[in-house]
Amino acid sequence: MGWGLAPMRVDVLECHPAAMARTVVIVDDHDGFRAQARAMLARAGYDVVSEARDGASAVRASRELRPDLVLLDVQLPDMTGFEVARRLFEGAGPPAVVLISSREASDYGGRVGSSGARGFITKAELSIGALEALLEGTGR
Amino acid sequence: MTRRRWVIVGIGIAALVWALGGELVSITHDVPENHFLDAAVGLSFFGAGLVALDRRPGNVIGPLMIAYAAAWFVGNWANLRFPGAPTLVLVTNTIQTVFLVHIVFAYPTGTVHRRMDRIVLWVMYGAAALTSTVAALTFPRPPVWCDCPWNPTFFPNEEIFGGVTWIQERLGVILVPLLLAAAWLRWYGASRAERRMLAPLWAATTILAVVYLIGSVAAPETDGSFAYLLWELRAVLEIAIPIVFVWGLLSTRLARSAMGDLVMELERPLPPGELRASLAHALDDPSLGLVYALDAGARWIDADGRSVPPPAAIAGPPARAVTLIEREGRSLAALVHDPALDQGLVRAAAAAAGIAIENERLQAEVRAQLEEVRASRQRIVEAGDRERRRVERNLHDGAQQRLVTLSLAISMLRGRERLDPHTSAGLDEAYAELKLAIRELRELARGIHPAILSEEGLAAAVETLAGRCSVPVDLQVHLDGRLPDPVEASAYFVVSETLTNVAKYADASTARVSISRRNGSLLVEVADDGVGGADLEHGSGLRGLSDRVSAVGGTLQVASDEGRGTTVRAEIPLDA
Repeated sequence: MGWGLAPMRVDVLECHPAAMARTVVIVDDHDGFRAQARAMLARAGYDVVSEARDGASAVRASRELRPDLVLLDVQLPDMTGFEVARRLFEGAGPPAVVLISSREASDYGGRVGSSGARGFITKAELSIGALEALLEGTGR
Repeated sequence: MTRRRWVIVGIGIAALVWALGGELVSITHDVPENHFLDAAVGLSFFGAGLVALDRRPGNVIGPLMIAYAAAWFVGNWANLRFPGAPTLVLVTNTIQTVFLVHIVFAYPTGTVHRRMDRIVLWVMYGAAALTSTVAALTFPRPPVWCDCPWNPTFFPNEEIFGGVTWIQERLGVILVPLLLAAAWLRWYGASRAERRMLAPLWAATTILAVVYLIGSVAAPETDGSFAYLLWELRAVLEIAIPIVFVWGLLSTRLARSAMGDLVMELERPLPPGELRASLAHALDDPSLGLVYALDAGARWIDADGRSVPPPAAIAGPPARAVTLIEREGRSLAALVHDPALDQGLVRAAAAAAGIAIENERLQAEVRAQLEEVRASRQRIVEAGDRERRRVERNLHDGAQQRLVTLSLAISMLRGRERLDPHTSAGLDEAYAELKLAIRELRELARGIHPAILSEEGLAAAVETLAGRCSVPVDLQVHLDGRLPDPVEASAYFVVSETLTNVAKYADASTARVSISRRNGSLLVEVADDGVGGADLEHGSGLRGLSDRVSAVGGTLQVASDEGRGTTVRAEIPLDA
């Protein structure tokens, strides 16, 4: 189940020029990776309002907290990231979605393009730079 | 000679005495009839009845024919004017007709099978018994019916007697159409073998029924000559019935020469299925089935080695009988056939085909074993594929996750300020090493099982293979929708292995991959314009690929002349 509903504040150690205190929900079933990703995002000035371990709690957290960005793992225990993305886009004012996976985009073929996500980053290449290139690339 | 034969001879002698004696009585009393025809009909029935008694001991038709013949001559003996003679004639005339109907309905087995036939027969016997009893009791005093004072009377009643005899004469009008209908219904419901046996009998029955009908209707009005003509016609037809029956018996013996042809046919080696066809032809039963027993009847297979349910007789329609073929008490095979076939004939055919049946059974057993091996091989391949998917999944969920998490942690450490050059360099090295490890693990996982094959299917997976190949690949993939997992896996590995070979050995400039469906199979072809020389025997990769493809029921061909490029072609059935 996802962690608490109350937003969590994290001290900002660095000010990234492009960050606008965006709110983020991280969705990944691997605890260690979530912790690292959270630390990385927090250091760059993002506000991680919630974490989720599976698709159902990810959808719930997104609907209740209305984050700007959802960092979404494709391999989840109850459904795929693509299915979560589809549900997120059903609601009004959906967040920006960036898909992540240990595998590469080519392992998923055309589903990445048709999912409605801003893009895909393989976990090995995950960095703030890569993330913002995706987000700024399509403008928001 | 057996005791039974003596009995039959005894009955025969008694019959002759009864017949010829009766005829003699008629002659000496100047009865105006054709004595020859009269005797011929009766003797014909006696003769056929005796043959039936001899050849078919349990069959009721034999005794029925003898009874009919005995009744036939009662009229002759009645000329002796013994007490009760006219009544006896009245009774036997009626019952005689019913005997005839019974014979016709019970032919050839002796039991009346159809319910409709049984009902008609019971009605007729009932009517005959009833009218006979009433007529006997109400026989009028002479000279009302006949000038026969020697006939005892009990409750003479002209009206009742007149009514009963009127009914008896008209009986044919009601019952004959019923008989016709029942008989023709049986004809239409009969199988080929049955019809062959019934054909002449039904023809004679129909004509006889028509004659009876005419006789019943015309009886009161006709004058002497017309009625007499009808009677003669009827007699001639009645002779036909016993002759037909004996002919039916004889024709079974004639069919036995077909056994000789069968034996000749079985001299030469027969492809599977032909043995059944030969037996069916010899027995004239196109629906004949031949199945073989494994483990003395625990399992049954057909000539191709496929499992079939144990053979069992069915009431039908269509009715089937089973003749077991055994050797030393163990079931070897079984013939499933039309129950109307003569048992002796079926056994003779089975005996004639003895060696051929054993041979075909052995071949069928081998085929069944091969089929088991094939199925088990397929299961092993599929188990292997499942295991690979599992390993890939475990790698993904376990080692790969940890490594990327580690890489993210190190990446963040590298991003910190105020790192001394040593630490910074050390972290950079670690990071580079880690990225390599991640990539190698990913390649390994993909080699074990490509995730995109399960996620997106064969077409998408082949696209990524083409994209990664160092040689340009022209893709001609014509597929809509997914295919069964084993088919997609085999096709994928054919393309993957072959493209790897192309990149490593072929020294080619281009390659082409075509995938399409045709006639219920998947066709996969990978061709290149390289140096050729690939060989199924000498390349262990191609051998393994060929094994994998044939494990799912497909075939792999390699055409690779020196200097002329290589084409690998696989055909995988889709309905396995």
